[in-house]
Amino acid sequence: MITGHRVRALAAVALAVPALLLTACSVSGKPVDLATVTSLDRPQPAGVEVNPPTTTGSAAAVPPCDPAASLRPAGPLPAPGAMPGGTTMKTIQDRGRLIAGVDQNTFLFGFRNPTSNALEGFDIDRVRDVAAAIFGDPGKVQYKVITSAERIDALKKGEVDIVVRTMTATCARWVDINFSATYYVAGQRVVVDRSSPITGVDQLGGKRVCAAKGSTSIQKLREAPAPPEVVAVDNWSDCLVMLQQGQVAAVSTDDTILSGMVAQDPNVKLVGPRFTEEPYGIGIPKQNEDMVRFVNGVLEQSVARGSWAASYAKWLGQAGGPAAAPPAARYRD
Amino acid sequence: MVTVTPERPADARTGPVGRVTRSAVTTPGRLSLVAVALLLVTAVTGIVAALTLQAKRDTLDDLVAHREPLAAAAQQIFRSLSDADATAASAFLSGGVEPAELRTRYEFDIAQAGSALAKASTDVGGDPLASAQVEVLSQQLPVYSGLVETARANNRQGFPAGAAYLREASALMRSKLLPAAEKLYEIDYDRLQTEQESARSVPWVVIALVVLLVAALVATQRYLTRKTNRLLNVGLVVASAAVLVSLVWGATALLLMSGHVADAERNGSQQVDVLVQARINSLKCRADETLTLVARGDGPGYEQEWQQLAATLVGDGEQNLLRQAKALASGDAATGEVQQAVDNAAAWADAHRRIRELDEGGQYEDAVKTAIGAEPNSSATAFGKLDKNLLTALNAGREEFFTKTTKAGGALTGLVPGVAVLALVAAAGITLGIRERLREYR
Repeated sequence: MITGHRVRALAAVALAVPALLLTACSVSGKPVDLATVTSLDRPQPAGVEVNPPTTTGSAAAVPPCDPAASLRPAGPLPAPGAMPGGTTMKTIQDRGRLIAGVDQNTFLFGFRNPTSNALEGFDIDRVRDVAAAIFGDPGKVQYKVITSAERIDALKKGEVDIVVRTMTATCARWVDINFSATYYVAGQRVVVDRSSPITGVDQLGGKRVCAAKGSTSIQKLREAPAPPEVVAVDNWSDCLVMLQQGQVAAVSTDDTILSGMVAQDPNVKLVGPRFTEEPYGIGIPKQNEDMVRFVNGVLEQSVARGSWAASYAKWLGQAGGPAAAPPAARYRD
Repeated sequence: MVTVTPERPADARTGPVGRVTRSAVTTPGRLSLVAVALLLVTAVTGIVAALTLQAKRDTLDDLVAHREPLAAAAQQIFRSLSDADATAASAFLSGGVEPAELRTRYEFDIAQAGSALAKASTDVGGDPLASAQVEVLSQQLPVYSGLVETARANNRQGFPAGAAYLREASALMRSKLLPAAEKLYEIDYDRLQTEQESARSVPWVVIALVVLLVAALVATQRYLTRKTNRLLNVGLVVASAAVLVSLVWGATALLLMSGHVADAERNGSQQVDVLVQARINSLKCRADETLTLVARGDGPGYEQEWQQLAATLVGDGEQNLLRQAKALASGDAATGEVQQAVDNAAAWADAHRRIRELDEGGQYEDAVKTAIGAEPNSSATAFGKLDKNLLTALNAGREEFFTKTTKAGGALTGLVPGVAVLALVAAAGITLGIRERLREYR
């Protein structure tokens, strides 16, 4: 028989043993840290800035003007290789090459063909036309690749003879440089991911939107009714990279540049209507008025001889550009 | 002279302290105490000396087995990454599908960087700064290679987005990976230098203890001579001899050792460090050169950096690293190799000048050809030769470091057991010598 006393003793032992075992097992500390990563540093194109301060230098009193109106050509063009003495063109001819500021990152306008290593595009064709008019050889060109932000400075410092780089003629820029007659009219639109619900510029408010530094697109975005968070990069193709990497919600600039992006990636789409008009002109240093008249003559000639249309068909025809008709030249004389 | 022992009742002896104090008054008691003290100092000196020497031995082994290989691995990471960057840029410049040898070179660079990174990460646990660098490298290297492959995929389709991906990859390399690799090398080299210093440092504590021991032995013998009118105590003489032998042996070995370590420092690790700096700068220059052409004028920063860094390779001033390396080189072979490096650096600077002239003069295609072509006077050829010279000289420096540091370790051969045995001999001598005198009081 088991007495109550013994039962209590047994119960006490039965309780005490697991308690002892538990005490032996309860150790302080934690398993070794597995070096869990909680935040990422995503790669970014060099020189990215988010919401950079505005740099509209000559904001103070820009005289009103017609930015698309240039200087009228001075009679028929001189024969290639026989530029009249004392002109800017003669200096270029004596140097043996035309120095042109261009882009190598904007598909269809100015880009480096990775297969041939040569610069190609609609803008490059314009440079070749000018070189052909001066030398009789479209290849006598030294290309200097410049970013959007460097265009005005390169002209003011005389580092280049002309800039052909999807450059919009504006009154603010006319203060510092000259423009040729308009050789193409583009308009700002928006590119987004194919699956994106965004359908136009009015829906970009507060979203991260990419644009190139020093471009008119960046100013237009700031002036939009629903201003986005602007991510500024050096080159337009950096915008495509950031869109592909999901680091921006949209890219907004001229439809021509955007068409080049759509051509490189079927997973992005152009949305919304054009909300600006961008007359492209060839930039020329302020003092070289003879050169402006000469380049306008070359443009007229290329339209008349069909090289403009051929170039358009080659680069922009399939990209769904607005019209195959060259813009009518306007002059301020 | 006889000291009078005071008569005390047995019950008055309270505790061991009292016993010692009282026995110190008698000559035999005093002698026993002196013996105990001498034995204690001998034991302490022997143990401390053995431990110190063992520590030096371990430091020397660690230098050869860990510190130097880690510093070498860190510089290997930098070299491989930087070369990968320059090679990717060259492949881009060559147009179309990149040449097979450039692709292979890039793949080897990435594989080499990965292996060296694995090696370098084995021993960073103790240093949070070093482990932070390793972390950056291991996190960003896969990202970098991913970007380069995306660039290739776009390039093959003829899309200029490829160039944009390559620029992003290069920016990542130059803003994160290369600085981390350079920092890691600096940390590893600092640790190497610290260990070299600690190997060469004079063991003052041991010296003080030995001096104390010698002084105590001399004093004891003079005391005994005074007390017993006997000139020599064989035991103590043996003990003194043992201490002197270990002192001379130890001092000679340590002097030899620190001489070898100093050689290893000068002709080995310092020489290697200067060469590593030269190599890092030459790799940066090469990347700048190709990137200037890739950017096609849109990269004034690259050419500026070239000018600054080239001064450390071909300049006339003090900052010319190749000249410094030549001054540090030991032996004709090493000097010859560095001299060749100097010549090839000059040839490279020449080629670079031609590239800039061609590019500025509108002959872009020729500039590219001079930069990446295989002609004997092309920049690629000169840079390849320079890199080979630097690598050969670097390996010679590493060899020198290994030989000299191993020799330094060899100088300490047998010293630790030797010192232990001599300490035992000294202890035995002290015990026997004093017991002999104590016996005379019975």
